Amino acid sequence: MRRVSSGVWLVLALLLLWEVSARTGLVDSPNWPPLTRVIAVLGRDIVSGELPLLVGSTLARMFTGLAAGTVAGVSFGLLFGASRLARLVLGPTVELLRPIPIPAVIPPLVLFLGLDNGMKITVGAVTAFFPVLTNTAQGLRAVEADQIAMARTFGVPAWRRLSRVTLPAILPYVLAGLRVALALTLVTTVVAEMIAGEQGIGHYLVLMQFAGRAEEMYAAVLVLAFLGYALNRGFVVMERRLIGWFFATGREG
Amino acid sequence: MTDITRRAALGAAIAAPLAAPALRAQALTKMRVSVIPVLDVAPLHAAIAQGYFAAEGIEIDTSTTAGGATGLPGLVAGQFRAVFSNGVSTLLGVREGLEFRFIAAASRAMPQPPDILAVLARKGGGIRTGKDLEGKRLASNTRNNIVWLRGMAWVEKTGGDWRKVNTIEVPFPQMADALANGQVDACVSSEPFVTAALQSHGEKIERIGWPLSETAPGGTNAHYVGIAPDLAKSGDLFDRFARGLHKGVDWVNERRGRPELIELIANFSRVPAERLKDVALPAYPKEITPAEIDELVATMQRYGLSGRYPTGASLLHRTAQA
Repeated sequence: MRRVSSGVWLVLALLLLWEVSARTGLVDSPNWPPLTRVIAVLGRDIVSGELPLLVGSTLARMFTGLAAGTVAGVSFGLLFGASRLARLVLGPTVELLRPIPIPAVIPPLVLFLGLDNGMKITVGAVTAFFPVLTNTAQGLRAVEADQIAMARTFGVPAWRRLSRVTLPAILPYVLAGLRVALALTLVTTVVAEMIAGEQGIGHYLVLMQFAGRAEEMYAAVLVLAFLGYALNRGFVVMERRLIGWFFATGREG
Repeated sequence: MTDITRRAALGAAIAAPLAAPALRAQALTKMRVSVIPVLDVAPLHAAIAQGYFAAEGIEIDTSTTAGGATGLPGLVAGQFRAVFSNGVSTLLGVREGLEFRFIAAASRAMPQPPDILAVLARKGGGIRTGKDLEGKRLASNTRNNIVWLRGMAWVEKTGGDWRKVNTIEVPFPQMADALANGQVDACVSSEPFVTAALQSHGEKIERIGWPLSETAPGGTNAHYVGIAPDLAKSGDLFDRFARGLHKGVDWVNERRGRPELIELIANFSRVPAERLKDVALPAYPKEITPAEIDELVATMQRYGLSGRYPTGASLLHRTAQA
């Protein structure tokens, strides 16, 4: 409890510093408006419905990409974990592609996928794919061999072993990957919106920056900060419910 | 049975008038155009707002990209039918073998100041000319575009060696801060950022030059660009596009300095109207002359963007010619 409140104090202190530095002329630029003016604009644009609409469209794209990337990541992760051949053939490619910063490949993606939802959702999906893939593969290796052997001894058929033993056992690892993917996908979806097309909070942010409307721009930044925080908190709650047993065994997520 | 037929007939009777406007809307040819939210594209937005394109049977879908350079690559990829682009970027693509053609003019430098580009420097910083900038840092929004090119020409025109000036890429919205805080020694800025910078940092920074009208008065600036195979295939569509756009040009030119134009620009750029009152506008021409493209190519050759370029005349689609 104490840790939480001291963290909140630091956030409040930083926000106060923002307000004071802008009001006193410590930082003197139209690109550094006082926080209170940003909040006023934020309230206005939420009530007018402009920001909720933009955020909604960004979230829809993000979650579609995340879902697609997660399904693909888990599938390939299982393949990697299960087949040595797949690991040997695909491993180097994955290891080469994984570190590429997604924003760097957006121009070629525009070439193949255009500027609309298809491209932005793909960016999100590719972002989510790699952390989920590596965690799934790692999880599969960490599943205790005894569990599988026991299931086999009891004559549990292969598909049932997958759905009843293996998948639940790797779930904590998949969720850990998903949590990383969640934060990254929000970032890259917004970046894709900033680069191309007229969609979402990312495009709004750049448009406002170029229109010299710093209050609106920071309002969008605040929304994104809150969104990232809320998504992560929501995810942690969901994780505790889904795999409470994992934490109950004394391990940390 | 009769009940169902009656209901179907009733449904059809209700649906028919509702469907009629939808059918008419479908008759409009959709055309996607890449733009950036700058003053130069006012005629396009005027033509959309005034229904000039609709009258030509076209529905323009603008894709505004403030930051990135997705316009010309998107044209190559077939994402756009037409792209608003500065002349230097277009010609660099042409040099690389891409079949860009000019469909229409977008903006041109005014014959004398004020115009849309300005060199800004710190007051009392001792920088007045290109000569003073040798060994110093000059900000441009991007290298190898029209802003950079006219900036280099200004450096040379005012006695400096452009090779000795360090160009740094700074986005337009951040230039005033970078200049006021000493991170750069001068910048080549564009409207409406020039006016905004002088309003917000007027006690610290000042305008020392007009790169467009001092080096290329009336020189070409930006255009609408298409790609040759598409222009050959859909010539009629581009004829209609140019007609609609030209009416937009007339609308804008008839309203220079009037509140309707400011309101139009404020609407698409989202820049508050009160900040646009003192903004300088470019000239809004309709046609492009081969000579102005040749002048631009010659200037590019002079500032290191050398190579083989086709003649200006061969790059003008019929809609761009007088």
